[in-house]
Amino acid sequence: MSMDEQALVYQIQEGNEAAFAEIVHIYKDRIVNYLFQVTGDYQQAVELSQETFLRVYFKAHKYRPIAPFSSWIYTIASNLAKTELKKKRKFSLVSLDNVQNNLEVSIPSQNSSDSGLIRNLRQALNSISPRYRIPLILKDMEGYSQEEIAQILKRPVGTIKARISRGRNILKKQLEKALSGNISFQKKEIFDGRY
Amino acid sequence: MEDISLLNKFGRVKAPPDFEQKVQAALSLRKKTKPQMARALRLSFAGAAAAVLICFILLNVFVLQKKSPVALADKGLVTDSTAREFIPITEPVDYSGEMRSVSYEPETIYILEQISEASYKEIKY
Repeated sequence: MSMDEQALVYQIQEGNEAAFAEIVHIYKDRIVNYLFQVTGDYQQAVELSQETFLRVYFKAHKYRPIAPFSSWIYTIASNLAKTELKKKRKFSLVSLDNVQNNLEVSIPSQNSSDSGLIRNLRQALNSISPRYRIPLILKDMEGYSQEEIAQILKRPVGTIKARISRGRNILKKQLEKALSGNISFQKKEIFDGRY
Repeated sequence: MEDISLLNKFGRVKAPPDFEQKVQAALSLRKKTKPQMARALRLSFAGAAAAVLICFILLNVFVLQKKSPVALADKGLVTDSTAREFIPITEPVDYSGEMRSVSYEPETIYILEQISEASYKEIKY
């Protein structure tokens, strides 16, 4: 954590709104993007991001500089996302058999920018349980190390390693199914509902 | 792994242009409502605690108060059910015997000792 950020957090603890605005400016894109990848819904990601920053302001006194500030803010965002996904789960436990396969006959490595592929990848990612999806996104998209993810999600490093590995395997299987034309994101198989 | 590299190719989204203004507006709103909510919560807790205390006192004073049978009898409130709760026990006490046994003569002291030189034998008196 840079000294600037630490100083900003201390100022937020004293109720300095300018420091808070600076933190929002620094992190807004990262947090919105992260929550979008986790939830798959841009509008919801924006709302959750707003709530994340409000919590940063009101809970700033609870922050201790033993962990980087970025880890702390990602912890807040992850917790909010998990809560939201739990709510959504009630409405999304339907099979995704009817998910339309827009994948054209192409191999990912040959044409990875294909929109159909990206769409299928997005669907595959969204079909994975959040307990695998969140560590996977933090690792492969946000660039955090396993130790940092363990710190963010308050889980042992071994658990995080296992979840990342399992998440990748599930994602790979889903993509293979999609490539073979048998797209059926069987949520029941992979979404066990636990976090 | 192929899918890992694909994850990196997801486009990154950005916050909407008015995001910071919205956050600041939400902050101002929350700042106004939060103390009010906290005060309302505190008052409701205090009110609930006071209500429980008053109920407890009223119950003890008017409902759960146990009156003695004498007090009930004085008021003529002894009912069958009340009477059944008490078993009357009358025990006559006679102190005349204790008074009669009292003696004003000095008390006799008996000193008992072993007088036999023989080996130990249990003394019987």
